[in-house]
Amino acid sequence: MKTLTILLLAAVVTTAAAQDDALTVLTGATVHPVDGEPIDNGVVIIRGERIEAIGPSGELTGTFDGERVTVIELDGKHVYPGFVHPLSSVGLTEIGSVAGTVDTTEMGAINAALRTEVAFNPDSALLPVSVAGGILTTHTAPSGGLIRGQSAVMRMDGWSWEDMTLEAPAGMHIAFPPGAADNADNEDLATIERTLEQARHWHRAQAAFEAGNAPRPRHNAQLEALGPVLDGTIPLFLHADNRAAIDAALDWAEQQDFGRVVLVGGPDLQYVADRLAADGIPVVLNGVYTMPTRRWEAYDMAYVAAAKLNEAGVKFAIGDGGGGFGATNARNLPFQAGSAAAFGLPKDAALKSVTQWAAEIVGVGDQLGTLTAGKRASLIVTNGDPLEPMTSIERVWIDGREYDLDRSRHRQLYERYRDRIAETAPGADD
Amino acid sequence: MKRIVLTLAVALAGSTAAAQYQPDIEAWTIDAPPEPQTVIVRNATLWTADDAGILDNADLVIEDGRIAAVGSDLRAPRGALEIDGTGLHVTPGIIDAHSHAAIIGGVNEATDISTAQVRIEDVIDADSINIYRQLAGGVTTINLLHGSANAIGGQMAVIKLRWGASPRELIFDAAPAGIKFALGENPKQSNWSNDEPRYPGTRSGVAQIIEEKFQLAEDHQRAIEAMPSGRRARDVVPPRPDLELDAIGKILDGSLRIHSHAYRADEMVMLIEVAERFGITIGTFQHVLEGYKLARRMAEHGVGGSTFIDWWNFKAEASDAIPYNPALMAEAGVLTGLHSDNPELARRMNLEAAKAVRYGGVEPHEALKMITTGPAEQLGVGDRTGRLAEGLDADFVIWNGHPLSVYSRVEQTWVDGRRYFDRETDLARREALDTERRELMAMVLDEGGGDEGAGDDEATGGGLLGYRDSELAHDAYCFAHDHRHLHAGIDFRKGNRQ
Repeated sequence: MKTLTILLLAAVVTTAAAQDDALTVLTGATVHPVDGEPIDNGVVIIRGERIEAIGPSGELTGTFDGERVTVIELDGKHVYPGFVHPLSSVGLTEIGSVAGTVDTTEMGAINAALRTEVAFNPDSALLPVSVAGGILTTHTAPSGGLIRGQSAVMRMDGWSWEDMTLEAPAGMHIAFPPGAADNADNEDLATIERTLEQARHWHRAQAAFEAGNAPRPRHNAQLEALGPVLDGTIPLFLHADNRAAIDAALDWAEQQDFGRVVLVGGPDLQYVADRLAADGIPVVLNGVYTMPTRRWEAYDMAYVAAAKLNEAGVKFAIGDGGGGFGATNARNLPFQAGSAAAFGLPKDAALKSVTQWAAEIVGVGDQLGTLTAGKRASLIVTNGDPLEPMTSIERVWIDGREYDLDRSRHRQLYERYRDRIAETAPGADD
Repeated sequence: MKRIVLTLAVALAGSTAAAQYQPDIEAWTIDAPPEPQTVIVRNATLWTADDAGILDNADLVIEDGRIAAVGSDLRAPRGALEIDGTGLHVTPGIIDAHSHAAIIGGVNEATDISTAQVRIEDVIDADSINIYRQLAGGVTTINLLHGSANAIGGQMAVIKLRWGASPRELIFDAAPAGIKFALGENPKQSNWSNDEPRYPGTRSGVAQIIEEKFQLAEDHQRAIEAMPSGRRARDVVPPRPDLELDAIGKILDGSLRIHSHAYRADEMVMLIEVAERFGITIGTFQHVLEGYKLARRMAEHGVGGSTFIDWWNFKAEASDAIPYNPALMAEAGVLTGLHSDNPELARRMNLEAAKAVRYGGVEPHEALKMITTGPAEQLGVGDRTGRLAEGLDADFVIWNGHPLSVYSRVEQTWVDGRRYFDRETDLARREALDTERRELMAMVLDEGGGDEGAGDDEATGGGLLGYRDSELAHDAYCFAHDHRHLHAGIDFRKGNRQ
């Protein structure tokens, strides 16, 4: 590979504007594909937006003669895929206390027709801050009402939501009413059921119309939007927090016969792990950093939840509970996975829970989550284990382009005031 | 004369309240752990948070609740409790300079812009489960503060986490008295609707109120001092007793230190300027989100900075908060500490310190000082706790790995030479409890009284179960309180409304 490197160096032409098929070669780092063993002194070849190849230095042979190639030497560094946030409100919220900046929560109970991506603010200050923390993809969902609406998987860099949308709709979100756990007559659940039933009828009528057998059914945006989740084209993200609600939600989902269900819940998910595994239902675990559900539970109850899910064979992603507050600190997601590893979750599973498994659960496993030829070249370069808060994320590529980390407001303010503090050192200007 | 009577009345009221305090709560069923006369931790990595730095393969000797020696190849008398520290790390106990985790109501006496006379020590919740959970995260001392609803909030209480002790026994007697101030959006009530708006509604108004209160207290004090003594006093009407101004008077004479909630640089410069005019030094700015913008000014005044490392943008005045704040304040010579302000976050302050390594390249040992030595000195107890050094209280934590690593766990937490948390014991105890619970369930079912699956309130509720309000206590005014977005933007489980 040394020879290849030298050959490449000779061919380097750096250009200001990246080209669609521009070649970038990362060399010298330990490459962590996530779905395979780390590669010491590995190479990642990026062509355009995609990873063309990864492998050990020396085994990849170059066919780049005459092409424009940028070689990035990363000796001593580590390369990982970017983190995929499995459920957040990044993009929909700015300053939690200023209503005009918050688009997370529509009014009303039935919001099936809401599309997240159209309200995703490409210039949110939260985006560059999250990217600086390695979060390169977010599955963003609305959070108002019983049927909350359609989520979207978004790239964290772009000029408008159109070019940032990776998958939309990524899923339909329904909040299972906690009061329905022990009450068959729960009004909120009845509202959801009635709406789903109407939607089934509406789509039957629509199919009949399309077949030429019936008049066009009256337009109804909410009922129409429920079609893909009813026929299993998109998954249902069913939100239920504690054990009783989770059990009831699982029973209910079975009854309703949804094609695909992802359960979103708190650390109580560990208590239904066997059932989740048996039914093959993936989950988003809402947070390792939460209080134990019950006052009398063990202090580490929430810390061990991920390990219990893993032992039972449940496919899971670790989230942070979302919300506006979570959105500002989406960058802390990987630490939650790390803390789960302090309490029994194997480290490689911890890493997968915020990369590969998260990507798979939100429907972009073919594009993101691992360093694999053909996937999007969205990756981070670090000086160590990225689940460690002590580690620094030094460089970032999103879809093959290096991202300028100084776009983070935090880094801008840091650099400005670091200089100011240096200039005003006592005696500096006397 | 009047003053003495008044003081007595207050003291009596206090002791009556203490006599009537009857804890009906399980913490009191736990005996305080024994205090071994001598303990030696051998062959561990000691993070002293002191000039000695990090000592490899070193020993720590505890005698009668104090640190007796720190070094290599130390001897301990026969009968000493020996702990093999091979592969383990030991740090001082963590100190959290901003907490509301053990207060029975009263976090905010939110009725008046100044409530200097109220005291946290009257409302300590010694049975808060947070005390045990925070011990399990290596915390040994916390500062219980009022909230931020008022410009002048009330008097704080520094406690040691002696789980199982009474409220009075929790109080850290060495801690100098302090008082909570608040600046910015909260005292001016920006983020919630108020049927009866209260003055002030601007930062200028907050400044005006503080100056006015200082002046009134100074005048009050002067009037008291001007009272003639002896027989002549009978001919003069004494100044009207005023508990609030008495307390503020103590701020002015230096016996009550200000710990002020503050976010923006302008408001902090204001408080420094006012304090200097009245000849006093502020103890700390709490949160101090824009501390990095006035760090040199803070250092010059001598005020400490007690900050969140990475909370930002949850309200307008938090939009310039940056995680590099601790690194920059420390660089400028500010006595810097990290705090939780949140009972959930308080359980892993070591990882907050770890972020100071990420953001601004603070050395790990220096970062550890931000959760030990730094807050200890800010609270005025730096000669009693916060370091592994001879003569200090034996408040320390044994970790199973690097104390700032996400993969590390607390194995034991000691306060005053007593082991208040031990993971091994905790694991064994929960097994015993599970067994007991199963036996009780079986008995109930045998008697035919079983209602299978029932037994708690889970079916109906969401969120957290079985907690008392005081255990989820928070400074409701710190977080934005817009009711529509309260439910959208905040996960209550995480106690985010600080």
